[in-house]
Amino acid sequence: MAPRKHGPEFSAEKTWAELAKNIKEIQNHNAANLSFEENHRFAYNMVLYKSGDQLYNGVKQLVIENLEFLANTIIIPAFTSATSDPAMQNTEEELLLKALRRVWDDHTSNMHRLGQILKYMDRVHTQSAHVPPTSVMSLDLFLDRIINKPSIKTQVVTAILNQVQHERDGYGINRSAVKECVDVFLSLEPSKGVTVYKRDLEPVFLEKSEEFYRKEGEHLATSCDTPEFLRSVQARFEAEESRTHHYLSSQTTQPLLQILKDHLLTPHLNNVISKENSGLDVMIDNNQFQDLERLYRLCLKVPTGLPTLRSSLKTSIVRRGKEINSTSLGDDLVDIEGEAPPEKSKDKGKAKAKASGLETAINWVQDVLSLKDRFDLVWKTSFDSNRDVESTLNEAFTSFVNLNEKCSEFISLFIDDHLKKGLKGKSEEEVDVILDKTITIFRFVLEKDVFERYYKGHLAKRLLQGRSVSDDAERGMLAKLKVECGVQFTQKMEGMFNDMRISADTTKEYLEHVSRTTAPEVEISVTIMTSNAWPITHSASACILPPEMSKACKSFEKFYLDRHSGRRLSWQLSLGNADVVVQFKNRVHELNVATFALVILLLFEEDGLLTYSYIKEATQIEEPELKRHLQSLASGKFKILKKHPPGRDVNPDDQFSFNADFTAPTKKIKVPTISSKVESTEERKETRDRIEEERKHLMEACIVRVMKSRKKMTHNDLVNEVTQQLTNKFLPEPLMIKKRIEHLIEREFLERSEEDRRTYRYLA
Amino acid sequence: MKVAASTSDLSSTSDAAQKSDNANGSEWVRLQSSDGYSYLVKRKVAQASGTIRNMLDPQSGYSEALSKICSINERGIILEKLVEYMCFKSHYESINTKEEIPVQEFMERIPPELVLELLLAADYQES
Repeated sequence: MAPRKHGPEFSAEKTWAELAKNIKEIQNHNAANLSFEENHRFAYNMVLYKSGDQLYNGVKQLVIENLEFLANTIIIPAFTSATSDPAMQNTEEELLLKALRRVWDDHTSNMHRLGQILKYMDRVHTQSAHVPPTSVMSLDLFLDRIINKPSIKTQVVTAILNQVQHERDGYGINRSAVKECVDVFLSLEPSKGVTVYKRDLEPVFLEKSEEFYRKEGEHLATSCDTPEFLRSVQARFEAEESRTHHYLSSQTTQPLLQILKDHLLTPHLNNVISKENSGLDVMIDNNQFQDLERLYRLCLKVPTGLPTLRSSLKTSIVRRGKEINSTSLGDDLVDIEGEAPPEKSKDKGKAKAKASGLETAINWVQDVLSLKDRFDLVWKTSFDSNRDVESTLNEAFTSFVNLNEKCSEFISLFIDDHLKKGLKGKSEEEVDVILDKTITIFRFVLEKDVFERYYKGHLAKRLLQGRSVSDDAERGMLAKLKVECGVQFTQKMEGMFNDMRISADTTKEYLEHVSRTTAPEVEISVTIMTSNAWPITHSASACILPPEMSKACKSFEKFYLDRHSGRRLSWQLSLGNADVVVQFKNRVHELNVATFALVILLLFEEDGLLTYSYIKEATQIEEPELKRHLQSLASGKFKILKKHPPGRDVNPDDQFSFNADFTAPTKKIKVPTISSKVESTEERKETRDRIEEERKHLMEACIVRVMKSRKKMTHNDLVNEVTQQLTNKFLPEPLMIKKRIEHLIEREFLERSEEDRRTYRYLA
Repeated sequence: MKVAASTSDLSSTSDAAQKSDNANGSEWVRLQSSDGYSYLVKRKVAQASGTIRNMLDPQSGYSEALSKICSINERGIILEKLVEYMCFKSHYESINTKEEIPVQEFMERIPPELVLELLLAADYQES
C-alpha cells in the first residue's frame, strides 16, 4: 500500500474528538460551518484504521444524548396538564403533538446529515460488525429513547385519542398536527411488519371508538327519530372514513367501519326500522325517499341489513295488504248484517250487498294497485331497483293477495268494469295502463285457474250483452294474459271471440235466407257458442216461450241444422236480450230487456194484474231468475211494472200490473237487469267445487302426460314434475297428486313397479 | 492557480431552463485538488460520485453545498482522472445507448503508476 501522507500521524482518539465536536455542531444546526469533506474523511479514516467500533458506538452515544436532551427540553415541557376545559385541552394536545413532531424532524434531519458523513462506515463497517446501519439505528434510537418511554407514549397516544374525541364531539382540531404525529408512528417499525401505529395506537383507538359508538348508538337510537338516526349514522360513517383517510391510516378504515357497523348500526337497525312514529312505515307513508334511500344504503353495509329491511318491508306490505283485505271483508260483513234482518227485507239487503260487492271488488283492486304503485315508487327511487328487494315485494304481495280468497274474482271484476265502461272519463291509453298494472297484481295470484274461470264468465257476459268497450281492448287484454300464462290459458277465450265472429256471419246468412223464404214475425239474432269454450253453467234454463218467439227459434234451428248436420243446438235464453216496442199512455217507448223479462212482459198483454205464482206457472222460469227479472222490471230504474204491495223485494204473494203511466225522457230505454256480480257464498262454494273438479282432471292429464314420456318414475320425481308443470295455473298439493295417482292406478293407466313400490310404470 | 476546465459537451445534451439547474444538475460546481488544481464540472457530473453528491446535498447544507466548492483531498492528476471517469460515467448513464460502453478503452487510458492511488480515491469517492 502506498503510504498516505496522514497515515503515520493518525490518532483515533484525536480524530474522534474532532468528529464528536463536529457532530454536536451538526446537532446544533450548524452544519453550514462544517466541511463535509473533513468530517467524511474523519469517519473514513476511523473505519480504515480499524476504529469502526469506537466510531459507531461514539455516534450512537451522541445521538442518545441528543435525543434525551430533546425529550427533556421539548417534549416533556409540552406534556398536557389535567385541565378539564376542552378548548384548553385541545390547544395543549396540539402543542404536544407538534413538539413530538419537531423532535422527530430534528432527529431525522440530523441523522440524515450524519448518515452522509458516515456513509463509508455504513458501507464497510456495519455489515462486518453485524450492527444496523445509521438509518436503522436512527429509527431504533428514536423508538427506544422517545416513543417507548412510558410517560411520553401515554401522553402522545392519549393526546391523539383525545383529539379524535374532540372532533367526534364536534370541535375543530388541527388535523395536520395529528396527522404528522401519526405519520411518525407509521414510519417506526419496532418489529417486522408491525408499526408503532399498529402496536400502540390502533388497538386503543379501536377500543375507544367501540366504546364511544356503543354509547352513541344507544343514545341515537333512543333520542332520535328514524330519519335523524339515519342521517347521524350516515354522517358518522362518512366522518370516520374521512378521518382514517385524512389523518389516521387507511389500514384502520375497515376495522373502524366494522365497529360502526357492529355497534352503531346493526344492533339498532331493527329497532329503528320498526320505530312507531318515524320508522319504515311512516317514511313510506310520507314519501321520504331520501331517508329511505339512506336506510337502504346503510342496510347494504351490514350483512343483516338487507334481510332486516326486506323482512320489515314484507311485514309492512302484508300488514297494509291485510288492512285492504279486511276493509273489503268489512264490506262483506256489513252485507251479511244487511241480510240478517228477518224475511221481509232479505232480498233488499241482498241487492245492496251485490251492488256494494262490485264496489268492494273494485276498491280492493284499486287499493292493491295503489299500494303496489307506492312500493314500486319507493323501490325505484330509494332502493336502487334492487333485485332482492323486488323479490321481497313480490313475495309480500303474493302472500296477502292470496290471503283474500276472492282475489281472482275481484281482479276479473275490476278488468270487467274497466273494459265495460272504459270510456267513462278515461281514455283508452289510461285504461290500458290500468289494465297493465292489473296484470302485475294478477301475477301475484297463485290460483290462475280460478281467475281463468271468472274471467271467462265475465268475458262471456260482456260479449253476449255487447257491452265491451271495444274488440281491440278485449283482444289487448287477452294478449296480455297470453303473455303471462301462455297460449293454453287463453285458448278458450279466443274461441269465444271466434264464435262471436262466426255467429255474426251466420246471422247475416240466416237473415238473407229468411228474406227469401217466409220470415217469422220476430226477427232474431243468434250467437252460436261452442259449448266447451264458453263458461255456460246452467244447462238450458227452461222457459215457456210465447208462440211467436218459439217459431222464430225453430226457424233458425232448421236453417242451422240443415247446414251443419250432426250438431245440436240448445237455447240459452237466460243470456239473451230483446228489443220490444211498448205503447204506454203518453208515448211509445222502445225497450231493451232481457229475454226472460220480455217473456214476463208479454204476459201482461192480456191481463192487468198477475200474481207471482201465476207468472211463475206461465213462464216456468226458475225462481231466482224470475225474482231478479221481476225486480228489474218493477223496482229498478225504470218501473215498467207496478208491484203490489210496493217495495223492493219480490215475495211469492206479490201481485204485478203493467204500469201504463210510465214515462221516460228518451224513446229508447235499456232496462238493466239487476245482476248478481259478486258471487254469493253458495255460488262461490259451487265455483270452488267445480274448480276442484277441473283441477283433478288437470292433474290426471298432467300425470299421464309426464308418465307417457318418462315411462318410469319414482313417486317424488313425479310429484315434483307435476307440481312444476302446474304451478302457473295453481299450486297442487302433493296429497292431491297422490290421490290422483292412486286413481290412475285403479283405472290402470299406471302400475306400481314390482321391484320398487315407490316407482310407477306407465301402461300403454 | 491553474485552471483546467473539463468541457461540458458531454453533458450539455440537456438545455433545461435555468431555474431547474439544481435538479437536473446543469449548474456548475468547482472541484479543487489538494495541490491547487480546480475543475469546473456540471453538478450532474460531480454527482456521479456518491461522496460528492452528499457533499453537495443542499438539504444537509454543509459548507461545500453552500459554496459549491469541493476540496478533494487528492492530487490534481488523480482528480483529473476522477473527473474524466465521472464524465464518462454520467455520459453513458444518461444516453442509454445500445452500443457497447468502451470501458476497455477507458482502462487503457489510465497510467499504470496511478492505478493504486486512483483505486483508493475511487473507493473514497464512492464512484
